[in-house]
Amino acid sequence: MKLYNIKYVFFSLALTLMVASCNNDDDQQMVDMATCDDGIMNGDETGVDCGGSCTPCETMSMDPDFSGTYAQVDHMGRPGINTVLGADDDTKDSHNVSIPSEQEVTFQEGYEARLEALHDAYAVALGADPADINYEPNILSDILGFDVTAEILTTVLSKDVLEVAPNAQTVYFDGNVPIGFTGRKLEDDVIDVSLILLFGGRDGARFNGEGGLPQLVTDGVGLTADNITTTFPYIGAPE
Amino acid sequence: MKKTTKLITGFGLLAVATGIFVAADHIDAPSSMGTTADIADYFAFEPSLDSDNTVFIVDLQSNVVDGLAYGTFDEDVLTEINIDVDGDLIEDMVIQAIPRDGRMYFFGPVAPDQTGLNSQVLVNTPLGDVGISGETAITETTTDGVSLFAGPRQDPFFFDFFRFNEVLAPTTMDNSGFNVPGEDTFDGANTMSIAIELPNSLIGETTATNVIGVQVYKTWVTTNRKQ
Repeated sequence: MKLYNIKYVFFSLALTLMVASCNNDDDQQMVDMATCDDGIMNGDETGVDCGGSCTPCETMSMDPDFSGTYAQVDHMGRPGINTVLGADDDTKDSHNVSIPSEQEVTFQEGYEARLEALHDAYAVALGADPADINYEPNILSDILGFDVTAEILTTVLSKDVLEVAPNAQTVYFDGNVPIGFTGRKLEDDVIDVSLILLFGGRDGARFNGEGGLPQLVTDGVGLTADNITTTFPYIGAPE
Repeated sequence: MKKTTKLITGFGLLAVATGIFVAADHIDAPSSMGTTADIADYFAFEPSLDSDNTVFIVDLQSNVVDGLAYGTFDEDVLTEINIDVDGDLIEDMVIQAIPRDGRMYFFGPVAPDQTGLNSQVLVNTPLGDVGISGETAITETTTDGVSLFAGPRQDPFFFDFFRFNEVLAPTTMDNSGFNVPGEDTFDGANTMSIAIELPNSLIGETTATNVIGVQVYKTWVTTNRKQ
């Protein structure tokens, strides 16, 4: 853009000087004198030695046009939040055009109801009273030293941002190491972590498929991407 | 084409038609799903232990099921990585990426002119640009030590999506939850990826903390369509 502007100024200046140096009587003579190889824009040229009666000017290279206003159509922070906890289409759509500072007020209550509704669905399917099967404070309770209730959990999750620590090891969540919530790597099993936090109860294994209970703390799959690299861009070549 | 992809080929349009949604953010909601602006996934991590860099990877679009927009970055779609460094969940710095004529142009990180739902391209703070890759990765590294990439990549996300949709709606006949082992629906899928690795010094210090008190950038990605 700058180069183009400078050229444009130069052309204008050249034109001004030329006009200033010619009186009306000299105009025709100056056009006649103009040639297509004299290194200045003159005669009927539209650029230096090009355009008009000379050969056409090449298209001047310019920076791409980035003008305009761009309006948000999709949003993502943590994986799976909108998918799992958004109860209906309208909620999912409105989440994508929301901003994190307003998400708790807008979505927390619905997410908590959804979390309890998923527990109720299993109660019914298992022939139990829905009132008897509810979310129980999860594995984070011992780590944090207080009960992580459905309200607390969905309050955190409703603010849909991905935290990444600039000065600490990246661990999405691992109950076996004393650090977590410091980012997300390509190979992290984020679905199992989400399931454990939603359905795992205090020991992370509440609905583990045993004792007549459903398996709700793992989806039973691990990483299948086989070409993640240790150097940029890390994410592997397409299949 | 892998087995899984074949299995779900016929399922694709059904999924779209019946509003079944896929994690992590792939085709997650009616308005955005299957469009060129659909965010498939988002990662942010330290590239190696004690590194002074942070990596952001944004995946757009997916070919996990048929009938979805896939394969070309849309010049009307601006991708924006938002970074909050004081914990108020309002972006203090943004990094932008937008394609033009076979190249991906990056801007920032810089404080945006305006926060919220509308954005302009921050043309006064170009970061660099990189040719959009084909099968083989083309990368650029700027004089500031920023690495840039854009192109098709293997989708690393894994999830038994079919079983998930059944698990969400248990019946007295089928109430056992997930299968172990399950089947990774995303095995064989690709995505259109944008990757950037940059020194933390370009973003700056953060006073925001996570639930266990570690200093973090609070980040999110948006796609934004030209009006």
